[in-house]
Amino acid sequence: MNGSLTAIDYVVLGVYLAVTLAIGLRVARGMHTGREYFLAGRSLPWWAVGFSLVATDIGGTDIVGVGGAAYSHGMAVANFEWIGCVPAMLLAAFIFVPVFYRAGVYTIPEYMERRFHAGVRVALAACWLIFMACNLGIMLYASGVMMHGIFGWDPRWCVLITAFLVGFYTLAGGMAAVVYTDVLQCVVMIGGCLLVTVFGLVELGGLDGLTERLEAREAAAHVDLLLPVDTPTPFPWPGVFFGLALVLGPAYWIGNQAIVQRSLGARSEREATASYVSGAVLKNVIPLVVAVPGLVAFALYPDLEKGDAAFPELVSRLMPAGLRGLFFAAFIAALMSSVDSYLNAAAAIVSKDFYARFWRKETTDQALLAVGRTATFGLLVWAVGFALVLERLEGGGIYAVFQTLMAFFQGPALALLITGLLWPRANGTGAMTGFLGGVLCAVGLFTLSSETVSKALGWEPLFRIADPFLYFSVWAFLTALVLMVVVSLATAPAPEEKTRGLVFRRRGGAGKEGEPA
Amino acid sequence: MTPLHWIGEALRGVLMEIPMPVVRGLFVGLLAALLVWVLTLPKEATRPRESEGGVVRAWEDLRWWAALALLIQLAIYLVW
Repeated sequence: MNGSLTAIDYVVLGVYLAVTLAIGLRVARGMHTGREYFLAGRSLPWWAVGFSLVATDIGGTDIVGVGGAAYSHGMAVANFEWIGCVPAMLLAAFIFVPVFYRAGVYTIPEYMERRFHAGVRVALAACWLIFMACNLGIMLYASGVMMHGIFGWDPRWCVLITAFLVGFYTLAGGMAAVVYTDVLQCVVMIGGCLLVTVFGLVELGGLDGLTERLEAREAAAHVDLLLPVDTPTPFPWPGVFFGLALVLGPAYWIGNQAIVQRSLGARSEREATASYVSGAVLKNVIPLVVAVPGLVAFALYPDLEKGDAAFPELVSRLMPAGLRGLFFAAFIAALMSSVDSYLNAAAAIVSKDFYARFWRKETTDQALLAVGRTATFGLLVWAVGFALVLERLEGGGIYAVFQTLMAFFQGPALALLITGLLWPRANGTGAMTGFLGGVLCAVGLFTLSSETVSKALGWEPLFRIADPFLYFSVWAFLTALVLMVVVSLATAPAPEEKTRGLVFRRRGGAGKEGEPA
Repeated sequence: MTPLHWIGEALRGVLMEIPMPVVRGLFVGLLAALLVWVLTLPKEATRPRESEGGVVRAWEDLRWWAALALLIQLAIYLVW
């Protein structure tokens, strides 16, 4: 592949990395406590958190995976960035984030213990920790695939170098370093990917050329956002509407520790809300820079073996020397912005929800800093190991793996959040029963719909689409919600201290921060 | 066929009957409903408190920014 970097590419890449590390180390100065490490001492401005929210959500997996899915299945994948994000971000902004912020928690599982009990906290924290740890490996693996595809570099070295760079400033600067480097990474990521879109459209002769080429390939439906129930893609409209817009999207933006944690580090409750609103506005442009290139690649090079090769192909064939370095910086930026966030969030769960909760309850805020850094280092080592295993197994379908892992517990987690914040009658017994029942439902449906099990039982597959994660997340959510309601009503109500300041009440007059919601 | 298959087939049959323009209406309706909700949020939830800065300018009201995000979404799902 004609994708080697020139000297100017290396200069661009080097400048980006140097500025990133400089920001990270600058912010790291004066770090003394766990609160500073995990919540940036509640000092973050809304605009930085807003950029960081978007940067965290768009990782290397998204650039490779969304571009690849757009190549294979069309623009329907953009639903993940549009209807799957914007409504959920606004609901989070005005309902959920203010309650979390006023509760003064570090993590969502911590909120769950205060609202329900320690069992719910442990169950949710364990699910998030497993997911985030695996996702860290998947993200690093994606980086190796991408860099190998474009430059022919050894993917193992790519994983190791990326992990070293991200680990360096995340270990040193914690959440503040993560958020401020995310701002730079978001700008570089959008700019670099936008260049690929522009070069691709120029090659096609503009949007008209793209449309003509798609029609000539009898693939005009590739631009449709809404696909029928019997579409052969993983994105039929019921899955997108019920599974993505109503379940997975809200679960991700309201309950994902890596996402919510940065808003808890905002300077005030209003700035936390403003960060989500600004992120929602910015989210509207993301498919133009990550999904449209996949569509362009399909129009230009329809015979690629795998969709995940779409972005590398565009870059290596269209980008002139010099600008490849900028795109490469964009990809690394996207990757780093997600890896650093998941590292810090996973370390927060290890430190707050396990170490400080069950092992050393008397841990001081100063000691929590050391615990957080140790956890960050341990998670980084694990992520590198997991990525190298994936590389050996040649794990494909990055995006499907990511979504399937999330779908196992995201629906039940959303049911926990909805009942916890919006229904004071919900109690710990109902919450625990519902959550476990929902997760079992998701895992059961996944197992029963797998080809191996279906064949062994002589059944038709339960779902008729590839990767039906959107569907089983809906069923898992409904199962969890029904169980939570029924069991809560059948058992004693939660005591008042379990709801005071922890449930949402529409305010005629806003309480001051720190006051009950 | 198991009971799960039966339920799935029945639901699939119902969903298959819904015309795509109605589906589009469902997506647009969801966004429109959110837009109405955002615009009716109490001022206290969307504007800075007077003690934070005196006069509150229109652009400081988060409702308008939330409405902008939703209007872009509405345009996308109406056209695409």
